[in-house]
Amino acid sequence: MTTILECRELTKVYGKVVAVNNVSLGIDRGETKVIFGPSGSGKSTLLRCLGLLEKPTKGTILFNGTDVYASRQDLNKLRARIGFVFQDPSLFRHLTAIGNVMLGLKHVLGLSDNEARRKAYEALKLVRMEDWANYYPSQLSGGQQQRVGIARAIAMDPEVVLFDEPTAALDVELKWEVITVMKDLAERGTTMLVATHELRFAREVADEMIFMDQGQIIEIGSPDHFFTSPNTERAKKFMAKILG
Amino acid sequence: MTPLEQIIFLLKAVPITLAISFLSFLLGLGLGILFAFMRIYGSTPLRYFSDSYEKFFRSVPVLAVMLLLYFGVGPYIQIFKDPFFTSVISLGIVSGANQSQIFRSAIGSVGRSQMLAAISLGLTELKAMRYVILPQALFLAVPGLGSEIALLIKDSAYSFIIGVIELMKHTDILRASQRSLVLPYIASAIIYVAMTFPLATYLDKWGSRKKKELGL
Amino acid sequence: MWFLLDYSMFLINGFLITVEVTLIGVGLGLILGILAALGDIYGGKIIKIIVNVYVEFFRGSPLIVQLFIFYFTVPYITGLRMDVMMTAILTLALNSGAYQKGYLKGAMEAVFKDQLMAAISLGLPMWKIFLYVVVPQALRIVIPAWSNELASMGKSTTALIVIGVREFLNTGISITAQTFRPLETYAFITIVYFIWIYSMLKALDMLYNRIKIPGLEPVI
Ligand SMILES: Nc1ncnc2c1ncn2[C@@H]1O[C@H](COP(=O)(O)OP(=O)(O)O)[C@@H](O)[C@H]1O
Ligand SMILES: [Mg+2]
Repeated sequence: MTTILECRELTKVYGKVVAVNNVSLGIDRGETKVIFGPSGSGKSTLLRCLGLLEKPTKGTILFNGTDVYASRQDLNKLRARIGFVFQDPSLFRHLTAIGNVMLGLKHVLGLSDNEARRKAYEALKLVRMEDWANYYPSQLSGGQQQRVGIARAIAMDPEVVLFDEPTAALDVELKWEVITVMKDLAERGTTMLVATHELRFAREVADEMIFMDQGQIIEIGSPDHFFTSPNTERAKKFMAKILG
Repeated sequence: MTPLEQIIFLLKAVPITLAISFLSFLLGLGLGILFAFMRIYGSTPLRYFSDSYEKFFRSVPVLAVMLLLYFGVGPYIQIFKDPFFTSVISLGIVSGANQSQIFRSAIGSVGRSQMLAAISLGLTELKAMRYVILPQALFLAVPGLGSEIALLIKDSAYSFIIGVIELMKHTDILRASQRSLVLPYIASAIIYVAMTFPLATYLDKWGSRKKKELGL
Repeated sequence: MWFLLDYSMFLINGFLITVEVTLIGVGLGLILGILAALGDIYGGKIIKIIVNVYVEFFRGSPLIVQLFIFYFTVPYITGLRMDVMMTAILTLALNSGAYQKGYLKGAMEAVFKDQLMAAISLGLPMWKIFLYVVVPQALRIVIPAWSNELASMGKSTTALIVIGVREFLNTGISITAQTFRPLETYAFITIVYFIWIYSMLKALDMLYNRIKIPGLEPVI
């Protein structure tokens, strides 16, 4: 198995807050990993560092085995190969759904308008948003916007997609449509690292679950492991709280 | 004159400046409400007239209107021989166009649904306007009206050009008589800011608070 | 009104000066407004205070006083002499910048940080983000405010007669002095102002309607 994205002893400090503390983890091709943990535990920060959206304070990030910051590679080229889905859909408000998906295809990958449109349409189909291709973000529901955000990320054919609590900002009724799309992706073999509290989703698709608290990885295991007998008290308590 | 005497001399002109601003504001308020209503509830010709009035007077300089009325119309109509009334009327009719727009948008943001709700209770459209829409629209219009008064205080300075003895004129007199190029202008500018600043900031805050209270 | 034909070159000249100072004033005002807005958003305490004093002074006092200050007071204090046109343009620019700072600040804050992050995550370089994400949105937010600003600056340029700029209204004053026909002259002048300012408003309105997008309304 090839490890696509990996961090070693990663630490990120904001002022006095240690948001991520000495975390090491890797994602292999075709794998789906879920990160969960209380809010403020450092999930977003870790994902932003892995997505090369922020530079770690300490530690290394390897993409396909190469140290990203030591090898002086063009960060933008690498970012294009790592998809990112945000908690807020963060769609570009001046572009339609398909326009949002086409932007990166045209201006990063350099596809022609026609090619970009065809590819964007395929991506919208995958997230079942092809009927809404010509609508502006303000005309879409939160769940629909989020699915466009997913299409925007996967249209680039990234080697790995990072999801930062993509359903956290959505109403309950809208969560399932986004989760369904993510399940489809996982089943198609997309390499994904997902921060989420949707433990049922994790149980169905995760190859491995990672429990974080206070910037550190507390426990790693299979969904079965976490659902039956977590080792640590903190994980046990957290599972109980989420599952109600 | 000592600096203090100069400042007192300037302050003596403030009542005239405020009188021009206030009277022209009242004239503009009357015209504004009238034209806003004509635009919303009038027959087609009235709507058209109100619309043209708004468009025209929002697109011409108030100083040009003043010169037109004072020098052009003054010889034929008594009231425009008087620079004070001429400036009040010029500022007032231009302000009427601004205020008409302020009221239209205030009435618009109270919303059609409240009008329908009131009518469904059995109120006539006029009563619904009087008891439901207008009281809220007035609150919503306050910040806009506040900046309109501030605008009129500043624009009242134009009346010095046709010879009204107001703050700007006193400033000019000081420059000529005291041969002083610094104090009169700086002091006068500060007096203007002191008159306009509270209007713009305080009423704006008050307005947004009211708006929230009304849930609009 | 036919006597005005004798003065057509004179009138055209005055009108062109009016248009020129309006456009230059608003253009330079845009740059000053951007700087002031940046200062107010990102600046330290002292810069914020300076920006706000600047804005309140120019928004709170009549343009006429400002013109006198830059015509009389500033040269007197600094010893720097400027010609009348320069004085006019400088004052208009400072005045316009103070007004433009308000909506520019709003527009800058409106192109949200989250979109910037999303654009970066796609691998877009900064200049492309600026070109394809920031500018198209900022433009749509700003055009309606620009049209207000152009119209009000166009009207305000009449104040320039107090320092003797030979702009459009001033040509009317001169013509009246020679012909003793103020009614026709000022009526004509007023109507030309109307046609000019109204068509500027209409043109920008049409432009805005062509490029407007649901959900991306101006902040003013
Ligand atoms: N940009 C930032 N600046 C300062 N502190 C931050 C920033 N982002 C996150 N933090 C802090 O880092 C810690 C971890 O936050 P985050 O990564 O958002 O956690 P999670 O996504 O698990 O809720 C929190 O204490 C948070 O306040
Ligand atoms: Mg988070």
